[in-house]
Amino acid sequence: MLIDFRFKALDPIRSNVNWLLRPLEYVMMMPRNMYEAASEYFTSRGTLDKENQEMKVRQAELSLLANQSEFLLIENQNLRQLIDLQNQVPFKTLSVEILFNPPNPISQRIVINRGSADGLKQGSPIANDSGILGQVVRLYNHSAEVSLLEDRDFAVPVQVARNGLRAAVFGAGRGNPLELRYLPVASDLEVGDVLITSGIDGVYPPGFAVAVISRIERNADKNSSNVFCVPIAPVNRYRQALALLYDPQWDANASTATNKPGSPIINAPGRRQTRARGMQ
Amino acid sequence: MIDFQSGYILRPVNPVFIYFSLLCALLLNLLPIGNYSWVPDWLIICIVFWNIHQHRFIGVGTAFFLGLLMDVHNSDLLGLHAFSYSLVAYLAISWHRRIIVLNVLTQAMHLLPIFLLVSLFPVITHWLLSGEIYWWALTGAIQAIIEAVLWPVATQILLSPQRRPIDVDHNRPL
Repeated sequence: MLIDFRFKALDPIRSNVNWLLRPLEYVMMMPRNMYEAASEYFTSRGTLDKENQEMKVRQAELSLLANQSEFLLIENQNLRQLIDLQNQVPFKTLSVEILFNPPNPISQRIVINRGSADGLKQGSPIANDSGILGQVVRLYNHSAEVSLLEDRDFAVPVQVARNGLRAAVFGAGRGNPLELRYLPVASDLEVGDVLITSGIDGVYPPGFAVAVISRIERNADKNSSNVFCVPIAPVNRYRQALALLYDPQWDANASTATNKPGSPIINAPGRRQTRARGMQ
Repeated sequence: MIDFQSGYILRPVNPVFIYFSLLCALLLNLLPIGNYSWVPDWLIICIVFWNIHQHRFIGVGTAFFLGLLMDVHNSDLLGLHAFSYSLVAYLAISWHRRIIVLNVLTQAMHLLPIFLLVSLFPVITHWLLSGEIYWWALTGAIQAIIEAVLWPVATQILLSPQRRPIDVDHNRPL
């Protein structure tokens, strides 16, 4: 146990046992899947009609929004190029299915049906249509374990959508509200503020909704405030989700002949460029 | 072997039935019920049962291997269940002479501490490793109580093949 905790040295054993165990898990998921399939099969025509209608309206709204956002995206890219900021990197999505959540009193995880063979990486964010769900923490060939937002000490760098204030939101264990930590009393926060991913970590793409502030306790004597939030995405509800394959291309450049401290900076596209300020 | 509940001599156990019941318990544990703390751990009931009744077939080694499987399934630290299962298997084997002569309900009372040990072992380990106790997970005690309640049922089911009469005479049922 200590070896696994400190050194993570037993991963080969784990993946082999997992290879043995996974077929059994699939077999045992069959009753539930059959039950769900049956209940879907017997949904009435009226329900389907209503759902279809709602879907059409929603799709119309979304396609309108998508056109608009494409325009804004191009405009934003152009503006960013004009002022030499780093370009936003597009990311790919991979639809994943949530298989089950393992019974574990300590942590709050789910197992999904995609793994390293599908291009998933350690640390890939998992989201659904409303916001971030969690992050891949353990990778197998054809499945992966995802730590959910509520998991203890699970941290996401966020910023407040209203004013751009950056912070980090932490999970506080199952059933407890998320916490915004390390914020002074005077910080400009209100109940109902939406927290979106800030993207400064290079793991989460920026602009995804994470949580909404639900309660603020300011204690002036300690110059700290306890801010509690609830996750936006329904963490334990749906079976489908999206994995975001995102590589911000921020890796430090290797020290080559053309890239040494002191040598002129090459303007590689997509890299952050520092502009000389002051006296030139 | 004597059935201490009824006083009759039991039929010899079929090893295939032992392994079949362990496999069934493992499969029940893999059911995607969700992350609820009250869901009983079928496997540990089965392991402890066979440790007490047939410790020549099922020992610490089997418990360790099955615990390893549960570790991977539960995405726990590797060895958490393996260690607690083998510890409990050892305890059950060393107590089996004392426990087996008791009434079934008294047996369940005696086994409650064993089940509590398994249920609370992850919390204790987490406490030792990271220094913070996770109060919410102490609801695992409910699981242990449910397992103890299920013990008479398990005894009834798992001993039933051995309780069959040897030669059935349909003409004279007594």
